[in-house]
Amino acid sequence: MDTLLTADIAANAPRYRRKSSTFIDGIHDVPEDGNRAPAQLYSTMSGRLFHSGRIAIVMVGLPARGKTLGVKTRIFHLGDYRRATVGQGGHVPEDYFYPNASPSSVVLRQKILKKCREDIYGWLNHENGQVAIYDAVNPTASGRRSLAKEFAKHDVQFANMDPDEAAKLYLTRMETKIPTFETMDEKELNYIKMINAGQKFFYNNVSFNYLSHRIVFYLTNTHIKSRATFFVRPGTATEEESYKADPPLSEEGEKYARVMTETVIKHREQERAARIAEGGSDVPLRPLTVWCSTRMRTMQTADVFKELGYKVRQRSQMAQINPGVCERLSERAIRRLYPEEVEKHELDPYHHRYPRAESYHDLAVRLEPIILELEREQNDLLIIAHESVLRVLYAYLMHCSTMDIPNLKFPRNEIIEVIPGAYQNDAKRIHIPGLDPKTVPGSPEDIRIPVPDSDVTTPAPLPGGGLSAPAVPPTAEKPPERVVNTAAEAVRDKITDED
Amino acid sequence: MAPGTNGRVVQVEDTKICVVMVGLPARGKSYIAQKAQRYLQWLSIDAKTFNVGNYRRHDAPQPPAEFFDTSNADGERRRRVAAEAAINDMLGWFRQGGVIGILDATNSTKERRKWVYDLCTKEGIEVLFVESKCDNEELIMANIRDVKTTSPDYKGQDPEKAALDFRNRIKNYEKVYKSIDADGDENEYTYLKIMNVGAQVIINRIQDYLQSRVVYYLMNLHIRPRSVWLSRHGESLYNLYGRIGGDADLSPRGHQYAKKLPELVRQSVGDDRPLTVWTSTLKRTIQTARFLPENYNQLQWKALDELDAGVCDGMTYQEIKDVYPEDFVARDEDKYNYRYRGGESYRDVVIRLEPIIMELERSEDILIVTHQAILRCIYAYFMKKDQSRSPWMNVPLHCLIKLTPRAYGTDEERYQADIPAVSTWRGKGSTAKHEDPIPESNLGYTPTAAVH
Repeated sequence: MDTLLTADIAANAPRYRRKSSTFIDGIHDVPEDGNRAPAQLYSTMSGRLFHSGRIAIVMVGLPARGKTLGVKTRIFHLGDYRRATVGQGGHVPEDYFYPNASPSSVVLRQKILKKCREDIYGWLNHENGQVAIYDAVNPTASGRRSLAKEFAKHDVQFANMDPDEAAKLYLTRMETKIPTFETMDEKELNYIKMINAGQKFFYNNVSFNYLSHRIVFYLTNTHIKSRATFFVRPGTATEEESYKADPPLSEEGEKYARVMTETVIKHREQERAARIAEGGSDVPLRPLTVWCSTRMRTMQTADVFKELGYKVRQRSQMAQINPGVCERLSERAIRRLYPEEVEKHELDPYHHRYPRAESYHDLAVRLEPIILELEREQNDLLIIAHESVLRVLYAYLMHCSTMDIPNLKFPRNEIIEVIPGAYQNDAKRIHIPGLDPKTVPGSPEDIRIPVPDSDVTTPAPLPGGGLSAPAVPPTAEKPPERVVNTAAEAVRDKITDED
Repeated sequence: MAPGTNGRVVQVEDTKICVVMVGLPARGKSYIAQKAQRYLQWLSIDAKTFNVGNYRRHDAPQPPAEFFDTSNADGERRRRVAAEAAINDMLGWFRQGGVIGILDATNSTKERRKWVYDLCTKEGIEVLFVESKCDNEELIMANIRDVKTTSPDYKGQDPEKAALDFRNRIKNYEKVYKSIDADGDENEYTYLKIMNVGAQVIINRIQDYLQSRVVYYLMNLHIRPRSVWLSRHGESLYNLYGRIGGDADLSPRGHQYAKKLPELVRQSVGDDRPLTVWTSTLKRTIQTARFLPENYNQLQWKALDELDAGVCDGMTYQEIKDVYPEDFVARDEDKYNYRYRGGESYRDVVIRLEPIIMELERSEDILIVTHQAILRCIYAYFMKKDQSRSPWMNVPLHCLIKLTPRAYGTDEERYQADIPAVSTWRGKGSTAKHEDPIPESNLGYTPTAAVH
């Protein structure tokens, strides 16, 4: 019984939980609820989406990532609990995975199970979690039913997933369970069967709500394909400061459009040549589709591609973040006119919405259809959009923390290439040569709103995510990293002697 | 680089999809077909339904049940001719640029499905089979009584007899009916199978984004009875001055409307069941909804905010005409497509409202308190109004509209609050602050059901 005692202590220590599965994506840990801006996918005062109750997604060991647009999601891997409980170097009793194990193993199994489920309820009930992904084998019908009942007691919706494909990965372990594995056909449960990595979906749907449906839609749109996504900014415009004016490209902006286009095309050709040099087959390049917004300067930047015969699509959802009342105001003026708003903004720059403006969360919600279409797209994709839009799309693909979204930097002299990997995406930065350094920094186009201090000097990826957001390399022509913040610092002590 | 190296494989705009309905009669296929067509057209995606029954009726206007017996060679031949005519017309329509064609017929045998599949695939058209399967006898009989006995096939006949004949007609189809992929040998097809109105759904091999959108939309449909209530915000201070956009407070009369709204809603709902209330994030809609009962769940949607007038925000129409004379004219020429400088067009608004429509289809009783342009778009979706006319529609202030979707079409009722308000309707070319709407601007609505 000593083992079990230690196991209890171990399982109770939160640090044993997998980092990637316990990380709370920042948004939901904001100290004040202050001015939460609700909309369709908004966190509410409780930190939950108000359209939905709580959902437990129960699944068979798929390493899923909870990146559903700022919905508070956490994955609970039963396996992690097992490993934590048994501890490093400790060994799992041989019969642990067998259906008819010895009593001591059964006790250990149930203990681990109980701990994991208690954590799920605790998280859903006390930490305002909304989507819990319970990642375990859940092989028997009776087990799933009792799980559903248990969740129901806690007022949790129950969505079941059965990705057979993923299950195959666990085949060695599964073998022992296969005799008791019953395929899902319990009519009264909500469940999704996903067969052969999304080729076929089977929904048994009793009471799916908004969020469940979004998850379903999302799942039908994901596909695993190695196509690249490029992000670039549009050229500079004649009237940089104005959102409403929607100005056309300046002369410099037109030059940028040409150089950027050349660089993209050259880069793609080089990659292809490199592939062939490495002994790869001489396959033609995947077609490149260009998406821009309906803002004048992005359309004009895309024109160069259009003239070369590339497919260019305008997407009205990709317009830059709306600055609302902050339009044309200096930071000083904003601080003077809306001191309360500035205070709220500093507490939660991701959610806070200035009067008539959009928050980054508003923008993310608006971009949701784009994200789904992006998941579906088969061609290589070049996205020409305002920095605010690139921040959100990049953060989605690279799994960045939402708290860092307002700080991500996309200097104009770089093309960001995102290459999908099996578990996480990879990003590459391609330098655009010969640009006037004046046109490079992102700040003039930004809403002049102060970004609060944080310890993050370069946008940090999720712990365990392992990949970095674009960091500004220390080359001579690069602007200082935190332009906006420096300005905020400079103004901070002068606010008192404001007229 | 030569454009050729860009390659041209799959482009979303090049996608052509034939949605092939599958299922026995009285399974709601035509309902699904017309909903999907309406939704796609509202999104400006060119969609058209080809109903084989309509083609067959040219040839055999009121056939008895025996006509549909598969052993009736003549009936069989004539039905085949009708199907061929429908498909030929559809393929011709695709060649002229059609995007989503919906083939509304039973397509109940494997042979028929393969025939349609081969014809479409040969022309580069993707095929999406949508099967509605239902074994709930109650649902089927309700559908027969509601819809089929009023069908042109039974015009002027005794409804009871008609229902019986129709039941027999279905029996003839049942003899040969094979649910899609029931034998596992149609696994290569892209299909959506909806069983008992959504109790179970199977999705197989969805290929692209457009298909997944159609599928997602169809999955959200339900046939439970419900209504949608629409109201503009109460009269605002900007309404009084004839200014557009902004984030103004309500006028005193606007506040009166807000106070009266709970009573108006209760009267229209008829009982005490609570509604879910959706407002925009602007002050005037939130103020309008603030006296509604506490057990009404209230949600704010950014997507319900008024059309963004960009640089013209906060101006009167006279000011717009003075400062941007060309824009003023351009907007009146094509109000649906005109995008304000730095702002939005009606077309942009429809795109941002799509998630709202999705959510509305899924939901039951909803009260939406929003703005003139937004209401015009939502109204156009339910009432099938044309893009060229809906931006000119008169949506009076201080009036509650109740829409009740039915199998074919939507019922409308209006409730007047009897609190005076300015008119914000504007005729083409006009710069008047407040103008009386012309009768045509009601888009065919006659206020007979209005309750005072």
